[in-house]
Amino acid sequence: MANEKRLDRIGWYFITPACVLLLFFIVYPIFFSLYLSFTSTKGIVSQFVGVKNYLRMFGDPMFFLALENTFRLLLIQVPIMLLLSITFAAILNNKSIRFRGFFRTALFLPSVTSLIAYSILFKMLFSYDGLVNNTLIKLSIIDAPLQWMSEPRLATFVLVIAMIWRWTGYNMIFYLSAMQNISEDLYEAASIDGSSKVHSFFTITIPLLKPIILFTTVMSTIGTLQLFDEPMNLSQGGTTASMIGPDNCFLTLSVYIYNICFKYTPNFGYAATVSYAILIIIALLTFIQFRLSGDREEAMRKTLERKGGVR
Amino acid sequence: MNIRKKGQSLLLYLFLSVSAFFSIFPFFWIVIGSTNTAVQIQTGKLSFGNQLGRNLHKLFGQSNMGGALFNSAKIAVLTVVLSLLVTSMAAYGFQMYKSKARERTYSFFLLTMMIPFASLMIPLFQIIVVFRLLNSHMAIVLVASISVFMVFFFRQSFVNYQTEILQAARVDGAGEARIFFTIFFPSMKSTYAAGAIYSFMTSWNAYLWPLIVLQSNDKRTSTLLISSLSSSYTPDFGVIMTGIALATLPVIVVFFAFQKQFVQGMVGSVKQ
Amino acid sequence: MKKSLLLLLVCLVLVTPLFAGGASETKQAGPIKIWAWDPNFNISIMNEAISRYQAKHPEATFEVVELAKADVEQKLHTNLASRTKEGLPDIVLIEDYNVQKYLTSYPGQFADLSSAFNYNDFVGYKADVMKLDGKYYGVPFDSGVAGFFYRTDLLKKAGFTAQDLENITWDRFADIAKEYKAKTGQYLIANDKSDGGLFRIMLQSAGSWYFDNEGKPALVNNAALMEAMKLYKRFVAEDLALPSNGWNEWVGSFNSGKVASVITGVWIIGSIKAGVDQSGLWAVAPTPRLSLDKSVNASNLGGSSWFVLQNGANRDKAIAFMQEIYGNDKGFYQTILMNNGAIGSYMPAFSGDAFKALDPFFGNKAIFTDLSRWASMIPKVNVGQYTYEADAAVMAVMEDYYNGKTTLEQAVKSAENQLKNSIQ
Repeated sequence: MANEKRLDRIGWYFITPACVLLLFFIVYPIFFSLYLSFTSTKGIVSQFVGVKNYLRMFGDPMFFLALENTFRLLLIQVPIMLLLSITFAAILNNKSIRFRGFFRTALFLPSVTSLIAYSILFKMLFSYDGLVNNTLIKLSIIDAPLQWMSEPRLATFVLVIAMIWRWTGYNMIFYLSAMQNISEDLYEAASIDGSSKVHSFFTITIPLLKPIILFTTVMSTIGTLQLFDEPMNLSQGGTTASMIGPDNCFLTLSVYIYNICFKYTPNFGYAATVSYAILIIIALLTFIQFRLSGDREEAMRKTLERKGGVR
Repeated sequence: MNIRKKGQSLLLYLFLSVSAFFSIFPFFWIVIGSTNTAVQIQTGKLSFGNQLGRNLHKLFGQSNMGGALFNSAKIAVLTVVLSLLVTSMAAYGFQMYKSKARERTYSFFLLTMMIPFASLMIPLFQIIVVFRLLNSHMAIVLVASISVFMVFFFRQSFVNYQTEILQAARVDGAGEARIFFTIFFPSMKSTYAAGAIYSFMTSWNAYLWPLIVLQSNDKRTSTLLISSLSSSYTPDFGVIMTGIALATLPVIVVFFAFQKQFVQGMVGSVKQ
Repeated sequence: MKKSLLLLLVCLVLVTPLFAGGASETKQAGPIKIWAWDPNFNISIMNEAISRYQAKHPEATFEVVELAKADVEQKLHTNLASRTKEGLPDIVLIEDYNVQKYLTSYPGQFADLSSAFNYNDFVGYKADVMKLDGKYYGVPFDSGVAGFFYRTDLLKKAGFTAQDLENITWDRFADIAKEYKAKTGQYLIANDKSDGGLFRIMLQSAGSWYFDNEGKPALVNNAALMEAMKLYKRFVAEDLALPSNGWNEWVGSFNSGKVASVITGVWIIGSIKAGVDQSGLWAVAPTPRLSLDKSVNASNLGGSSWFVLQNGANRDKAIAFMQEIYGNDKGFYQTILMNNGAIGSYMPAFSGDAFKALDPFFGNKAIFTDLSRWASMIPKVNVGQYTYEADAAVMAVMEDYYNGKTTLEQAVKSAENQLKNSIQ
């Protein structure tokens, strides 16, 4: 029908501005980057080298160090943070708790800070003469100041704590919103059947929250794998120092790419190669996460589209 | 209520209070820090001082914080407007005019979210140069406005929209553009408010791309100014804290102003 | 009708940015633009040069852009890599360790100054840094000649005289540090165990570097490198240096009197003098040398040079400016020596009065006579373009070496492995 054709065309009109912007500012860079990854481009001196960069990457100790650091952060920070987020959400979902609005706002507030600002803050708090050391000494928890920013394990700890501080409230809001959509009747029915609050949480809340848990896990994974601003700003001396963080503990994959471009002899080709490695890892992990939750991308959206919560 | 329940309740409140304290403390510390000198901050002073005036003077006088704040505001406002327009229109197109081809396009959109920015940096810089937008605020606005996350967010929020209203308007003879702007948009205010806050926050706090594309000091955003203050050879922490406080304030204000819509909007987007 | 409204909107969205925002500067003769870092040193010195030039050429205008060092380097990369001809600075400061990197990665982007200056007037090792294929590309600036700066009063209290500290080896220095700590309970020096600064001082004092003369990685069997690593380990194992993290803590350590000395480039003098209450209590001795025969008590750390961009809007004016001041004005060099503690690389200026002046802060000694003499003794090394990669490769293995998880040989081998990969 002519009308259908007309509507179809209009559908495209709505999408066109976004497509144009996407084309220039995302699609073109992606493909050019792919091309770059097969070249050795030192500054403006470029040479096609085929898969040599990829082979180089597999023999690059620093790449593996960055990979290890990034994964360590992923496996430690993300689960703890999401667990905390869901716990807070569960608590604040309970109508009998008072001052819920205040707590919700307080926990969300860290998310409005810029990544630079809060990195600087935590660096100051945990410096050798900083507030944390002084407080711990005053409370007699430790006798001598701890070298938070000079010891690799402690420095990683500071980064993890900072990220948890910043992102827990943000994810909590997603869980809270989803929880508030679950009908009260479900809980009432369950408690009539004799189920305890905790039991209901695990048998009703969590399963219904699966799509949103998947969403936050995927977004957090992508965010942590691309982590740049915080390690960059927590490390002393940035790119002019010999190491990014004590024993290079803040050398994440994105920081490594930045170093390849701006600290070492700039090999933009190799930098592109490493960034494609990140992309492949992200894609793999995202795919696995979707599979584990038994959904594929479209199915996830369909789940979110389904009304109500009874299944 | 028996004692165990009271005890549990107390424990919960304690847990919440301690967590809230840790969440808010840094803000309190920034505000106090902005009234003290660098030395006082480093020696752990936790009370208000009298250096706020001096810190402000240095911040605005020596470092042109006023200009930086204006730049940040200008970029943020332009980004919010352009971004809301472009991404909500795209989401509307994807959701209200479903077709196989568009679904595939949408999947492609989502895939691009997984690309780390680090891999786009250099080609993006080159294309900005080609468009003669180097060292311009528009370079930041344009790149920021194509936020695939926003497209995703909007589409999720539109999922449960009662399309009958749109059909009715169509039957009445209204054109598609008119329907979008005069019927659809006004009815999704809280969603747009949530999107606006998210977009504003993201733009205001952006670091790496502005760092790369802006060349001169007078174009700097407040985030870049703070970063350069703290990486100077002799950072004055009192001034830095004041800068952070001032730079964070607008975002907090925007958030509180739209808080209700924000939460409502988030709720709308995750409706199952 | 409504459809075309939509179309119009779409067009507007796409087209406006090109009108509204485009703020890139077209190539016009504006002020001479200079990018540099460190307001107390480089920028202050450049401003002095500018005011001297403007006294004779009032029509010349300048714009000095102050950025963090890492930002200058990053912006230079992004601009040159994108081959943009607009928005480039006219003059830019580049650290010596990075010079070859920029010259080889961006051929043709820096002005060939071979005929604009007489490079025999500049200190040998500085002029060599900016030579590529027989041509000279920059203007040598500050020398990073290193010195062993110490507090005479604190060391005297521990029983050490100036004699005890002159022309010593690093082993002797470590022994002194140990004795000092035993006697006073304080550290003699502060050092970040993951920072390669002292490393490079040690290497260059023996005429060695991370690379051999052909530019190939030379870490394995590098006697100077291995001795340096052993010394670093000794500092950590015997706790001879106050751990410091970052520039501020390091400077704070000697400003506050927590440590009694600092061994680094002469550019630290500005920061030493920031401790105004310590005037008269400082002295300078030659840097310690390694136990190797070929090591001398003279070395270098850091130092930068100015470069003129080939495609800068005011290239020729910039060259004229640099020639008149940096290539000719002996008075300028006296002034910056006195005000900033900057030892330039322009040798004709070394005979000037400021270099002979007695500095009250340093016990009324003519320290600059000593320092400029040591500058001429610094062994030449070919720093090449991969110094940062080498620095990263070596420091990355140090932690495990400190913990005893690897032996010296293993550590050096794995550092060389990393380095070979990084320079592909």
